[in-house]
Amino acid sequence: MKREVVIGLEIHLQLKTRTKLFCSCSTDYIGATPNTNVCPVCLAVPGTLPVINDLAVDLAVKMGLGLHCDIQDGTRFHRKHYFYADLPKAYQITQYEHAIAQGGYLDIIAEGKKKRVHLDHLHLEEDAGKLVHPTADGRLSGAAYSLVDYNRGGMPLSEIVSRPEMNSPAEALAYIAQIRQLARYLDVSDGEMESGSLRVDVNVSLSNPDGSLGTRVELKNINSLRSIGRALEYEIARQNRVLDEGGELEQETRLWDDAAGVTRSMRSKEGARDYRYYVEMDLAPIDAKPDYVRRIRESLPEMPWDKRDRFVSEYGLSLEESQQITEQREVADYYEEIVKAGAPAAKAANWMRTEVQRILRDDALDITEFPISARRLGELISKVEKKELSNTQAKDVLAAMYGEKLSLEEAMKKCGASGEKMTGGALEAVVEKVFASQPEAVDAIKKGADKKGAKVKFLQGLVMRETRGSADPAEVARTVAELLK
Amino acid sequence: MELLGLSAREIAAGVKAKKFTAEEAVRASIERIKRYDKKYNAIVALCEEEAVASAKRVDEAVARGEEPGALCGVPYVVKDNFCTKGIVTTCCSKMLKGWVPNYDATAVEKMKEAGAVLIGKANMDEFAMGSTTESSIFGATLNPRDRTRVPGGSSGGSAAAVAAGYVPVALGSDTGGSVRQPAAFCGVQGMKPSYGQISRYGIVAYASSLDQVGPLAANVGDLALLMDVLAKGDPNDTTCDAYERPSFTGAAAKASLAGKRVALLTGYDRGSLDAPLSAAIDRAVEICRAEGASIIDVKLPITMEHSVACYYMVALGDASSKLACYDGMRYGHHADGRNLSEMYKKSRMEGFGEEVRKRILVGTCILTRGYYENYFVPAMKVRQLISDEFKNLFEEADMLICPISPALAYKRGLGEKDPVRMYLGDVFTTIANLAGLPSVSLNLGFTAEGLPTNVQLLAPRFGDDGLLCCAAAIERAAGAPHIAELTEDD
Ligand SMILES: [Zn+2]
Repeated sequence: MKREVVIGLEIHLQLKTRTKLFCSCSTDYIGATPNTNVCPVCLAVPGTLPVINDLAVDLAVKMGLGLHCDIQDGTRFHRKHYFYADLPKAYQITQYEHAIAQGGYLDIIAEGKKKRVHLDHLHLEEDAGKLVHPTADGRLSGAAYSLVDYNRGGMPLSEIVSRPEMNSPAEALAYIAQIRQLARYLDVSDGEMESGSLRVDVNVSLSNPDGSLGTRVELKNINSLRSIGRALEYEIARQNRVLDEGGELEQETRLWDDAAGVTRSMRSKEGARDYRYYVEMDLAPIDAKPDYVRRIRESLPEMPWDKRDRFVSEYGLSLEESQQITEQREVADYYEEIVKAGAPAAKAANWMRTEVQRILRDDALDITEFPISARRLGELISKVEKKELSNTQAKDVLAAMYGEKLSLEEAMKKCGASGEKMTGGALEAVVEKVFASQPEAVDAIKKGADKKGAKVKFLQGLVMRETRGSADPAEVARTVAELLK
Repeated sequence: MELLGLSAREIAAGVKAKKFTAEEAVRASIERIKRYDKKYNAIVALCEEEAVASAKRVDEAVARGEEPGALCGVPYVVKDNFCTKGIVTTCCSKMLKGWVPNYDATAVEKMKEAGAVLIGKANMDEFAMGSTTESSIFGATLNPRDRTRVPGGSSGGSAAAVAAGYVPVALGSDTGGSVRQPAAFCGVQGMKPSYGQISRYGIVAYASSLDQVGPLAANVGDLALLMDVLAKGDPNDTTCDAYERPSFTGAAAKASLAGKRVALLTGYDRGSLDAPLSAAIDRAVEICRAEGASIIDVKLPITMEHSVACYYMVALGDASSKLACYDGMRYGHHADGRNLSEMYKKSRMEGFGEEVRKRILVGTCILTRGYYENYFVPAMKVRQLISDEFKNLFEEADMLICPISPALAYKRGLGEKDPVRMYLGDVFTTIANLAGLPSVSLNLGFTAEGLPTNVQLLAPRFGDDGLLCCAAAIERAAGAPHIAELTEDD
């Protein structure tokens, strides 16, 4: 019996603001000495009050608009109560029933198919601090005490909650990648999982035979896209196995153990926990009047999927090529500059995906750090198109431009690729040189031992290589034949 | 120079005119506290050194010819739930015993900017929860008008300090009448401004949507003066509006009732009031009529029926939330436990007194699923209805007259014997907090036994200036209260 996989995702994006959500503490906490990015407000010192960071609201609205949500005017924050050492107020300020962005959807492409995933909402909330357990393995069990670092407390997060509409790990991964790409396009978040600025909680269940939703299991603590894929595969298999054996699934939260490759039960009956949500009266409702929303909407850049589709229609790229080039907004911009500089679109795409990407990958560079301007690269590629340079020559020139920081002209000179064709006496000199290095072959040909002409072809090839492709093959053949006489 | 009994305006003017120094004013205040407060217990922390040093700075500024502030050299006290930089702030609770904040509440900062000198911290009910100032860990404050009676609460220490003539002005906080009721019991003038008029930043919260800083003084003119100093927008408190305030002293100086439409609250059992309080209402109405106001009778059926229940729902739900941060982790009372949860329980159990624990418990219940939907959500709806009832009322009236408390100052110990009666005593005061309205407790003289009588005046939201204008006119006719005669013997 085939059960359908049903996956819903909650993604926490850390918003790119300079200060925290409710105070003016710096958000630059990675690597900071514990408890240095804190103030009376984020430590909940008696008498202090939260003040909303307007930029965080702007970013949340931006992201909400990118996700086609309805932006709500006058939404409020709630207090979500629980006692824990990393939560100074003993409540987290979050948006509960009045999220700033409601509904919305995201189109994804997974396994070659387009799919629309609907969202429940996007809301704003503050992060909690971090507990550090001074045992060898960093775990709480066995520790005589724990340390609290409140630097992360109050960091601005937006939580994006999808409907349970993804039906495979591949779809879930495509969804996350698409969210991350959008966040980066809009400059709303770094979207980096390693540093925790993108965190994912996964809800997964298997549908019952009658089509109704099965028992839902939440997976937490997954720190990379790869782990999410593995955790989902594992959990789906586990649930299938339990059901196949006639067992029942428990509604619970499970932690992903990346080293062991398994999920483990964390606590059950999560649903029974009562957070006692209560309206945050210290904060006025958020103003998001139509005028303000319109201004933010007008400030939005071209969406990544629009860019991707436009590159297909405007530049004739394949969907896959376009997807690769538009993955990062700056790469896409760079590509368009190359084309504007005169390089043919298809060839430019090829160069971006091979030569440029290789250098960036090898030297771990960001496109913004790539020292060769798009205009120069465009000129280089158009020289290939005009047959002033062979492909091989052009790659050498690029290497010289990058490695030795030469200008296009200098690099061409350096590689002996002045752009002029090698003919006449110059070509003859090269042929003589090749002949001198291959006396046996020349001898054999002159003795008439080269019945199939293989040795002549071999010499011609050497000449072509020596001229770095700047000679006309027909002329090379002619000159070789002549000088062999 | 006899400084006792001078108003804040008179002291500021005297210091400015160099008739006496700020230091003299401050020392007079401290001397009186030292002499009498062993008996009355209105002050829980006296900051003599800091006060004298500040007073000297004020005098130096005056000597240099700098423009001194509106309260230059005026000694004052604040309720112990205002954060004061470098000075203990305990909310009169074991939970915060010995805690010294590293910042000043915005209100304290504004007072400092205006040249006022902080003399000390005033006694209060623990975490502002109570109507008698008997639940303080520092012991009860006695009413300067009659030591067998309570000074009211929870700003009882602040009201008593003004009545006792320690200081001409004091600050309190009013969540459900905690400035106005003690002002009434002690025979001084007290005000709860409109919600959003004065910054709450640095006031240890009781209930976010009800709390408001309130001035106490011996006369309406000083209330207005404090309003001018305190009522300003604050970027640290987003519920404190940044709009341009009118001149409150200007409004009070007008002191006029001519042409005003005054509403008299009816529809409750006037006979249930202590007779002198009922008489005070009649007197106030008479004055209004004589000063050229027209009087209409009004009823507030929803408000009178539901305000107390609604108030306790909102206040206790919020209090349980705001007091959750006292977990023994970062400040305040800490008890060791075998694990996190035990540490929380022991710290909170030991740190909070009984009344506070009771209110947190009820508040937690109110916010719990099920109760929230059945009790809290309806209470919020009722709150809206109360606001609406006032909105309608103030379409036909400029001011409302009603009692503050149904009873004269209680005998000590009532809170223990009859807590429900004590809670019901809040029926007339809580309405201003629920609807966010400005309200003044105005003294209307004293009974034959010397107990203060009074009325409550209410006005539309942000009609604080109009309210002070009317209050000043009534005060002019009725006379401002004099400070109490204190005794050192038992
Ligand atoms: Zn902070």
